[in-house]
Amino acid sequence: MYDELEQMYQEVILEASKAPHGKQSFAADITSAASEQASSAAQTVRAEHEACVSAQSHQFNPTCGDEVTVRVELSDGTNGEPIRIENLIWDGQGCSISQASLSIMYDLVQGKTLDEAMELSRTFKKLMESRGAGLDDDAAEEALDDAIVFQGVSKYPMRIKCALLGWEGLKDSAAIALTQMTK
Amino acid sequence: MDIAEIRSQFPLLDQTIHGQPLAYLDSGATAQKPACVIDAEADFYRTINAGVHRGAHELAARSTEAYEQARYEVARLVGAHFGDGDDELVVTGGATAGLNLLANAFDHASLDGIEPFALHPGDEVVVSRAEHHSVLLPFQELCRRTGATLRWLDLDAEGRIRTDEESLAEAITERAKVVAFTHISNVTGAITDVAAIVARAHAVGALVVLDACQSVPHIAVDFHALDVDFAAFSAHKMYGPTGVGFLYGRRELLEKLPPVNFGGSMVELAWMEKPAQYMAPPAKFEAGTQPVAQVVAAGVAARWMREIGLGAIEEHEKTLVPALLELQDIDGVHVLGPLSAESRIGTVAFEIDGVHPHDVGQFIDSRGIAIRVGHHCAQPVHRHFGYYASNRVSLGVYNTPEEIERLKDAVRDVRGFFTR
Repeated sequence: MYDELEQMYQEVILEASKAPHGKQSFAADITSAASEQASSAAQTVRAEHEACVSAQSHQFNPTCGDEVTVRVELSDGTNGEPIRIENLIWDGQGCSISQASLSIMYDLVQGKTLDEAMELSRTFKKLMESRGAGLDDDAAEEALDDAIVFQGVSKYPMRIKCALLGWEGLKDSAAIALTQMTK
Repeated sequence: MDIAEIRSQFPLLDQTIHGQPLAYLDSGATAQKPACVIDAEADFYRTINAGVHRGAHELAARSTEAYEQARYEVARLVGAHFGDGDDELVVTGGATAGLNLLANAFDHASLDGIEPFALHPGDEVVVSRAEHHSVLLPFQELCRRTGATLRWLDLDAEGRIRTDEESLAEAITERAKVVAFTHISNVTGAITDVAAIVARAHAVGALVVLDACQSVPHIAVDFHALDVDFAAFSAHKMYGPTGVGFLYGRRELLEKLPPVNFGGSMVELAWMEKPAQYMAPPAKFEAGTQPVAQVVAAGVAARWMREIGLGAIEEHEKTLVPALLELQDIDGVHVLGPLSAESRIGTVAFEIDGVHPHDVGQFIDSRGIAIRVGHHCAQPVHRHFGYYASNRVSLGVYNTPEEIERLKDAVRDVRGFFTR
């Protein structure tokens, strides 16, 4: 039983959850009394760089309270290059699986083209749906880099959402940014 | 009480989880069922199954008798009146369904101006910050729809509902028409001072609604003695089946309360050109085919509890509480709720510094121990303590001191594992 638990909570996960990459403080905390007040109108998110569009997405796992706001800044493609993730930050709280997954996602997608990032997102989702079996595809597993450590988590249906939360935030915020570009 | 003998009646408890004997410490979510309850449901289908309150055949008569016998057993458990013309228990789909039925009935009454239930702008509905979402949300919605104002009783540092004179006078004003609150918090395990709130509510002419989900399974409850006007509880937390609950209402109030679900079995006369004439309670609230087999099994659960004795159940669980509260002595552990064994039941929520409840639950599960993690459908009370989620242990009559020790051993090892 302990082996399984250690397979799930690999050291990479515990370390990443303790000192997560890409985490910054910019969103409201749901445990605070302030969050009891009605939320103010949705804030506009400004891009930090020129020729970039920024958007953010709040994701929430009500069963355990994992919560994250992912903010992404995409190049707008006007330079003729493919759309790229120029910057990604996130803020949130939650279990070690969700926090580690966000940290590792940050390392994986920062600076990548959006297409590459979305491909990684699909691969990661497949891994999480593998019920512990992995991907049976060496190239795909290699592309996931450190994110492959979540293979052990995929055995636990109750925890899959924890690992996917950040990726959902990335997909959603990128989709919002793309919509803004086409406006 | 012979715990080994009690445990032997629960087939589910006799199994290993992750190679360890199961320690089920999540009875606040749902209690396990003794064999007599499981058998009652199956036996009903094997021998009696038929529609109730209709049909002239023998099985229909037996089915109706079994259904009403169950209502009687449950009524005896909670001190409600029973019998044709006196019934005070309405069968519902669960406690949540019962509370929604009640809030919706108040809404209908507001539309039709039926007193003493009708709510209008300027009226107030009072809850507490300790409420389960199943109390908070139906009454919050009711306020939104009727224009009434939602107010609430706040909590003290231990998470108990404040019932000092000043707090009561501030929250429950002359404008209050309904006061709804929990008998025992499903997070802190604190027993509310019902008498104090009832006295204040009745002094200002407000109706009292009690959420008795966490009290009926653990302590002797008598709705007449408590002097509440309505109460809701579920069968599955009192060793009965899922899908069934009961709404208690003082008889004269049930007679005035308008129905909210319409259809078969609740109407005396129906016409095309004029409104129907509805049956007397409880039938007028029980439209459609009820979960008869489950109601019958719930009656068996109520009788089973009475045969063991509510005093014995309470006493046994009480003896385990001090050991359970020793959780707070473990480094990094914080209990959300009263730290003494006084006026509380064996439901204890706790936090472990630096380890998210979801991770705690996973670790403890690996030792074959089932606890609940999350917000337990009571987010405001968690926010009161500055958390979103917690770990919760909740006892049943079948739990043993050894299980508590195993839990504490597991809790002691949590931080070591996650900070290795």
